[in-house]
Amino acid sequence: MPSSSSSDWSDWIRREEDPARVSEKPEALDDLVVLDLSHAHYGALLASTYLAELGAEVVKVEPPEGDPARSWGPPDVALRGEGLAFAAEARNRYHITLNLTSRAGRSLLRGLAARADVLVEGFRPGYLDSLGLGYRQLARLNPRLIWVACSAYGQFGPQAANQPAEYDLTDQALSGLLHISGDPEAAPTRLGSWITSYAQAAWAAMAVLAALHWRRRSGRGQMIDVSGAEAVMRYLEYSVLLYHTAKQVRGRTGLYERAVFPYTFVRVKDGFGFIAGYTDQNFGAICRIMGRPELARDPRFDSTLQRTRPENEVLLRDEIEKWSVNYTADEILDKVLADRGPGVVVFGPLNSPTRTLGEAHWWERGCFRRIADPLYGEMLVSMPVWRMTRTPPRLKWPCRPRGYHNGHVYGARLGVGPGRLDELRNQGVL
Amino acid sequence: MTPEYFRWAERLFDLTGAALKPEALAGIRVLDLSVIILGPATADFLGELGAEVIKIEMPGHGDVTRILGDRSFFWKNVGVAFFGMNHSKYHVGLDMHAPAGQEVIRKLTARSDIVVENFKAGTLEEKFGLGYRQLREVNPRLIYVANTGFGQWGPFSRGRASYDGLAQSVSGLTAITGDGEIPTRSGNYIGDWFGACLSALGALAALHWRERTGEGQFVEMAQCEGLVRAMDWTWLYAGLTGRDRPKTGNRDPVFPTSGVFRCADGYVALVAGTDAEFRALCRLLGRPGLTKDRRFSSAAARRAPASAGALDRLIADWCAGKSRAEIERRARAARVAAAPVMTAKDHYESAHFRARRSVWEHEDPVYGPMVEYGPAPKLSATPARIKWAGKPVGFHNEFVLKKVLGLGDDEILDLERAGVIGKWADRLGAKPPDDWPARAFIQ
Repeated sequence: MPSSSSSDWSDWIRREEDPARVSEKPEALDDLVVLDLSHAHYGALLASTYLAELGAEVVKVEPPEGDPARSWGPPDVALRGEGLAFAAEARNRYHITLNLTSRAGRSLLRGLAARADVLVEGFRPGYLDSLGLGYRQLARLNPRLIWVACSAYGQFGPQAANQPAEYDLTDQALSGLLHISGDPEAAPTRLGSWITSYAQAAWAAMAVLAALHWRRRSGRGQMIDVSGAEAVMRYLEYSVLLYHTAKQVRGRTGLYERAVFPYTFVRVKDGFGFIAGYTDQNFGAICRIMGRPELARDPRFDSTLQRTRPENEVLLRDEIEKWSVNYTADEILDKVLADRGPGVVVFGPLNSPTRTLGEAHWWERGCFRRIADPLYGEMLVSMPVWRMTRTPPRLKWPCRPRGYHNGHVYGARLGVGPGRLDELRNQGVL
Repeated sequence: MTPEYFRWAERLFDLTGAALKPEALAGIRVLDLSVIILGPATADFLGELGAEVIKIEMPGHGDVTRILGDRSFFWKNVGVAFFGMNHSKYHVGLDMHAPAGQEVIRKLTARSDIVVENFKAGTLEEKFGLGYRQLREVNPRLIYVANTGFGQWGPFSRGRASYDGLAQSVSGLTAITGDGEIPTRSGNYIGDWFGACLSALGALAALHWRERTGEGQFVEMAQCEGLVRAMDWTWLYAGLTGRDRPKTGNRDPVFPTSGVFRCADGYVALVAGTDAEFRALCRLLGRPGLTKDRRFSSAAARRAPASAGALDRLIADWCAGKSRAEIERRARAARVAAAPVMTAKDHYESAHFRARRSVWEHEDPVYGPMVEYGPAPKLSATPARIKWAGKPVGFHNEFVLKKVLGLGDDEILDLERAGVIGKWADRLGAKPPDDWPARAFIQ
């Protein structure tokens, strides 16, 4: 019983999600206070970012000399002194400084934690505990506190003690992602962005919200432990089950793919494109679009079991490439979109970032925005990922210098006035 | 750090009695109308945290992931790729094309908190009458989570289907990965899994709002946009310079003393990101004097291609011939971040990941002993968990229709006779193991 035409739905949902009207709506998490104690830790920084985008009041606590992550970025360009990696993701926060190794500093942190809902940290496991600022100490002040600790190996288990600093590359290794990425004849290939940090952050923020749900019923907070290695290990599909059932070690397959095929990059006239259509019907559509309907009936390719035989994958990819090299990516996409079915073919160009930025789709949907920040100037930023009809997430400000909000936060949250603030600054506490 | 902290943490997170601890999302019901990975994993992650998930599939064949993979993937009549995003769900075989099937979905929605779908934009509304605008009529508190490739609206949202590989390709992620001409896709379906994490997070933010106000809402997550949002400084860099960030292969461009190195039994990844770690690395390599060499004496000097290349060769030479375990042990003692490139076998045999139940062993009533990847976040009071493995199509029809909708046997039989509900077809992927004794069947 369809009740409306197709344009109806997209028009309606477009209006409901209109990026230009986000500020007219409330924020899902604006009743929460989060302490961001991320220190040289991108995953913990990002976890706080997600909560901040969704409306939480996030106070980032940095040592007087600043978070070392402020210098993280490419070597050739910085943004008024901040590394681009930091400037890209330190959004919507109140930035304060605090020396946790001083007695007065620890006392101020306890004051902040006593009335916070969430604390996010990425120190070496046990470090805050050794300062008397661990979960077990702060939970005595605030039993409702939800504490998220991010690290490479986690807070418990045989390898937890004495673990090294956490980096995306070492997490990619431990997670198993590296071992299955790249060409089988070559070394494993690192995924180009700090994907393990994003994964760790998404799990951390998700677990925080689940813990909040439980707190609402139980009145109790808890501690959450998120390993960056495990964050992506959980994304490795069947790898460990396949070892359990068949003692097979999943390896690298490069342009090929064991579970589904075609699902690969092929050369096109102007670079590469990605093409997929792995069910019988969808593969039939690829063959039809290529003008090779007989391939769909070829006994080497006529079922998913046949198409995923390693030797047949190579043959099939070659057949597709013989055709695809004759057209540009745009021409192939036109052919794919003009096909009326049955079956669905997935195709798109291999975009460089600047080519992605040239596509109107992302701009219309508000994925990117150019902002003119009063402190940092012109910035091209990527926007929060969720569209929510009632409580859309948002970007309020991209980043602020260290200690920028000391006056506001210490005044509003702890009643520390300007005179006392100066004393604390002179004593090296702030 | 004090050993005492770790003893305390062991006790706090102790998983031996995890099944008896409460679940964070107990009482939340999720209706999963999705297939393949992105949608099912969204529901699965909520299920790991304690939500009750009801998965709707077409009677007969069910979700296509049941039959993916080559011959070696099949185990007890189902492809192993099916299990990773279908834990602890109740499996209902129901034909949403039939008006009576749509009526059942509406009734289930009325008694659910969250609906997850990953149809192309508009499909559920136009083809099935089960879109957000229809379903919120039967449940105004509904949180409706829609996963797509390109979103519900915008130039690419109509007619363009997406898979994870496409999201990697069009987002720009592939273009910043590797260093050769031939593109490298992430070896797993990263856009699906990461996108599902974002989706579940969005759903829980909406749940938080609902608990404050009673209001439900529509939440959408587009897979391509999920990866666009996971590329750290790529966009800021392009905006400031007008250029693409360079491809740097396995060297992390922010921490240039880094890479993946061959050793006797595989590979290790190594990063010396700070001056202190660089000094430790020089000691580890047996070359403490390097810190005074002007090619390496500052982070800026180490970035120069000649210096970085020279360091790569020194590290590679040191790693060559050593085992991963030896490198890891010595690097840890020296406080250098080095990690073995782990395989599935390494995960399977890891005492650490077993103790944390990130490698999770359980005994399923239908499939027997299984070892899968367990929930990633560890919650001390409400541990996430796997309760059972994915089941054949329609396995829980009777249970769900009785428990959730309160139907009687005769009504269920009528639905089955009318072809509205059904169980598995006699085919790979859909059916139970051949030797299954049917004793675990809940009626």
